[in-house]
Amino acid sequence: MRDLPSGSELLALARDVLLQELMPQLPPEVHLDARLIANSMAIAQREALAGGTPEQGILADLERLYGDASNGRPGLLSRLAHDLRVGAFGSSEQRERDARRILWRLTIAKLRSANPRFLNANGLS
Amino acid sequence: MAATGLPRSEPAARAALARFFAATSGADAVKITGLTPLRGGAIQENWAVDAEFSGGAVAGEQRLVLRTAAPTGVAASLSRLEEFAVLKAAFAAGVTVPEPLWASDDLAIIGKPFFVMRRIEGTAAAHRITRDPTLDPALPAIAERLGGELARIHTIRPPRAGLAFLVSYEKVGPAQQITAFRAYLDRHPMPRPVLEWGIRWLEQHPPPQIEPVLCHHDFRTGNYMLNGTAVTGILDWEFAGWGDPHEDIGWFCSKGWRFARLDREAGGISERGPFYRGYESESRQSVDPARVFFWELLASVRWAVIALQQSDRYMIAGERNLDLALTGRRATECELEILMLLDAGGAPHDA
Repeated sequence: MRDLPSGSELLALARDVLLQELMPQLPPEVHLDARLIANSMAIAQREALAGGTPEQGILADLERLYGDASNGRPGLLSRLAHDLRVGAFGSSEQRERDARRILWRLTIAKLRSANPRFLNANGLS
Repeated sequence: MAATGLPRSEPAARAALARFFAATSGADAVKITGLTPLRGGAIQENWAVDAEFSGGAVAGEQRLVLRTAAPTGVAASLSRLEEFAVLKAAFAAGVTVPEPLWASDDLAIIGKPFFVMRRIEGTAAAHRITRDPTLDPALPAIAERLGGELARIHTIRPPRAGLAFLVSYEKVGPAQQITAFRAYLDRHPMPRPVLEWGIRWLEQHPPPQIEPVLCHHDFRTGNYMLNGTAVTGILDWEFAGWGDPHEDIGWFCSKGWRFARLDREAGGISERGPFYRGYESESRQSVDPARVFFWELLASVRWAVIALQQSDRYMIAGERNLDLALTGRRATECELEILMLLDAGGAPHDA
């Protein structure tokens, strides 16, 4: 049990103080650094809010792709990367489609934390 | 000077630079009146140098830039003396660049090799260029001008005695780049299946051989200087080398370099039309959309790998730099673009 406000709430508040209150008082030559700090805080906040849910969903997809031969979750993403390198899904349109679906889900999940604005600018959310 | 820091102390560097400037310019004496680090350039350090020359080839007050290596660099970049030679070739070919003046690898001057060029006016700030509404009416003409500049760069072709240090195209073509991408991914701690998928496509769809030209290899918004609406210089030649001319066109147009305006496909500043028109008009060669597609996809893979390498400088080399650390996150933006380019069906509804 953790005390409130939560870590992600504190991060959001601290970021707001940095951008709204401190930034106007900082010399222009350090504004870029301040924005990088604010960006880092936003990523950390979004990752804290998302928790492990996106990762679990991707791993479940990978288990479905590889079925009984998956031998557990560790290494499944590496296996997918290897299979894509060697074109292992070329003989099955369905498996290739399933693999591609995982790539989309993985990428969109990462961008929801790292850069949701970029996702939106590309018509995704 | 402490943050980035020349290896020699500032007074010693100023005195040695003044002697070097006098000797190379034929001046009776040179006084360094300003030496200030310029922001930007994760791989190189740039210093604004103000100097008063008494006599010689450049008598009077001069505003210069000294360019030298940052503490940690990227293995693929040219040495400063090599970059200086490329800049001289571009200047001679009529490309709009800061005039290259002198170079030295004498470590007794500032402690590391460097070259000196004239300082040009303007901004290279990509976010400002792509966001500033007052620039909008002029941007198509700027894109056309940049197409012409790129075509002039591509008039430089091998063999060139002064550029003999550049690796032959046979060793840096698409197949070799693919091998290098995979070798990097094999060393990287996290699997990157989207990059693997993109690289596989590149491997399966190589463009037909072409006569190589000098490619800038980082020709993009952020690497040209605008003074108002005038293009005052193409910057940052550290990755130049022989390549397919479409390599530079694909790099300029790739989504990673559109900054605030993803919808403006030519460098975030215009549609492709004006940029291509400027290139075709100057080069009298047609831009081949299929070749551009190949190189644009490769650009997304390359930028992703560079982003991860920048992050490695924090993660592995221990360089304490937030900008570099955050750059690694941008690899996923490139991966989204790879998916959008290669999967016409788009994202699944439940993604």
